[in-house]
Amino acid sequence: MNGFLEYVPGTSLLHRMNPVAKLLFAVLFAITCFCTGNLVFLCAMLVFALALAASCGMMKQTFGLMKAVFVFSLILAILLIFTTPTGDRLIDLPWGYIGTGSILAAVTTIVRLEAAAIPLFLTFYVTKMSDLSNSVVKVLHVPYKYAFTFSSTVHFIPVFMNDMKGIMEAQTARGVEFDVGGIVNKIRLMVPLCVPLLVSSVRKTNSAAIAAEVRGFNLRTRDSGYKQYPFAAFDVAAMVLAVLLLAAAICITVFL
Amino acid sequence: MIEIKNFTFTYRESAEPVVQDINLTIPAGSFVGITGAAGSGKSTLTYAMNGIIPHCYPGDFYGSVMVDGLDTCETGLTDLSQIVGSVCQDIDSQIVTSIVEDEMLYGLENFGVSHREISARVDEALADMGIADLRDRVIASLSGGQKQKLAIASILALKPKVLVLDEPTAELDPASSLQVFQLLARYARDHGTTVVVVEQKIALLSQFADMLVIVDNGRIRFADTPANVLAHSEELLEIGVNCPRSTTLMNRLAFDGIYNGPVCRNVEDACDALIEVLGHSAADNQMASLTEDEVIA
Repeated sequence: MNGFLEYVPGTSLLHRMNPVAKLLFAVLFAITCFCTGNLVFLCAMLVFALALAASCGMMKQTFGLMKAVFVFSLILAILLIFTTPTGDRLIDLPWGYIGTGSILAAVTTIVRLEAAAIPLFLTFYVTKMSDLSNSVVKVLHVPYKYAFTFSSTVHFIPVFMNDMKGIMEAQTARGVEFDVGGIVNKIRLMVPLCVPLLVSSVRKTNSAAIAAEVRGFNLRTRDSGYKQYPFAAFDVAAMVLAVLLLAAAICITVFL
Repeated sequence: MIEIKNFTFTYRESAEPVVQDINLTIPAGSFVGITGAAGSGKSTLTYAMNGIIPHCYPGDFYGSVMVDGLDTCETGLTDLSQIVGSVCQDIDSQIVTSIVEDEMLYGLENFGVSHREISARVDEALADMGIADLRDRVIASLSGGQKQKLAIASILALKPKVLVLDEPTAELDPASSLQVFQLLARYARDHGTTVVVVEQKIALLSQFADMLVIVDNGRIRFADTPANVLAHSEELLEIGVNCPRSTTLMNRLAFDGIYNGPVCRNVEDACDALIEVLGHSAADNQMASLTEDEVIA
């Protein structure tokens, strides 16, 4: 698997779509997931999201994401089970009960988060970060400094992760045992290493700011970008589809 | 092109000046090599030339640094950057995008290079650095040497009047280092670009530079042609600068009174000088059976 939010090259339709269309589709898709509590509809959205992942050959990476989202959503699901006393009573609790509605709410939350996360995840992996930032500057008129801040943050994540790996390897060579004693011991040993990482991060960030400035960062305007991002028919179709899905979700919530 | 007068600089967090009493004139179109022991102030000198000092690193600045007639203290960093192209020591920090092509485009787009011209400039710079095949690669997947070539290519594409490079071949193999120096020399010769290179590989500097500047403890110890500077091999060694082995050998022979010709900067010079010393006929027989390394040994 590539690094965090690192572009995966390809020639699929998703790869070729306009970055703004991809982003808007993903955002509308996520909003749609949060506009309805209908489990069947959400399952259909999840299947659709998985189909999108399959279409661009990102199934393996998507399952990795789903695993991470599942862990997070499981915490929310457990909270919902104990705090949403609805439906047929299954287990009595001192402050209420766990009912069939509690289970349904928990499952709905997990499916909703999984479905909402996948298109956003795909957008970042099938779009070059510079295309994403340049297109939102050109098309959506987002100020360049904000787009640059975001793309730089993503750009530096693997750099800092490499730095941390290097620091840990250096400490391992000096006898620090990160691989014994479980996760708690590992975290305990890693905490002091955050200081040198922080120092090197600040230094690198400062150097990057200087590097950007000496290459004309302050001269950049909305029209500076060399690449153009025209909308093709399938970009428009994707956005229409996203709006239709949103409308369907609202209708289901209101009328069912 | 660059005129430094009585320049002294002390970083805000340091008590002692890092460079002091620097006086240096670099003519337009010249190729200048700067070298010296670690911590001698070489990088600080380059920061003064590209305007990073005083605009990014605060401190006590005395004297003046003029680049293409502009005072670096009075001219903004962005304006200076349109004249001076800089390659920093830490390549990872210099790279601001994730894809090779985007990195090449970044400066060109910002400086408003015509969109019709951009593609040709990118092609030329990538081809010059021998990395045209990396155009669509993710930068994180490149080796250190490839990143270094990319950083240089992205600055070459801007075609600045002055190029300031801080250890541009630190991560390159000998063949690639030679290629970079040949390319820089070509830019100086063909485009009239003023090239300033901080480098530890003195053999390359002495081969390509018009002027060699030796920095010692924040002061300029020598600033002259490579031949004149390398004549002081004993003094250079004392301040932590190694001469090329061929130079050291011939200087030793000169010291012993065996050789009294000009300073040899490389193996070829040394071979020629030895042929001269030994006599053509004797040398022809002997040299024919020796490799260059054996001659030096």
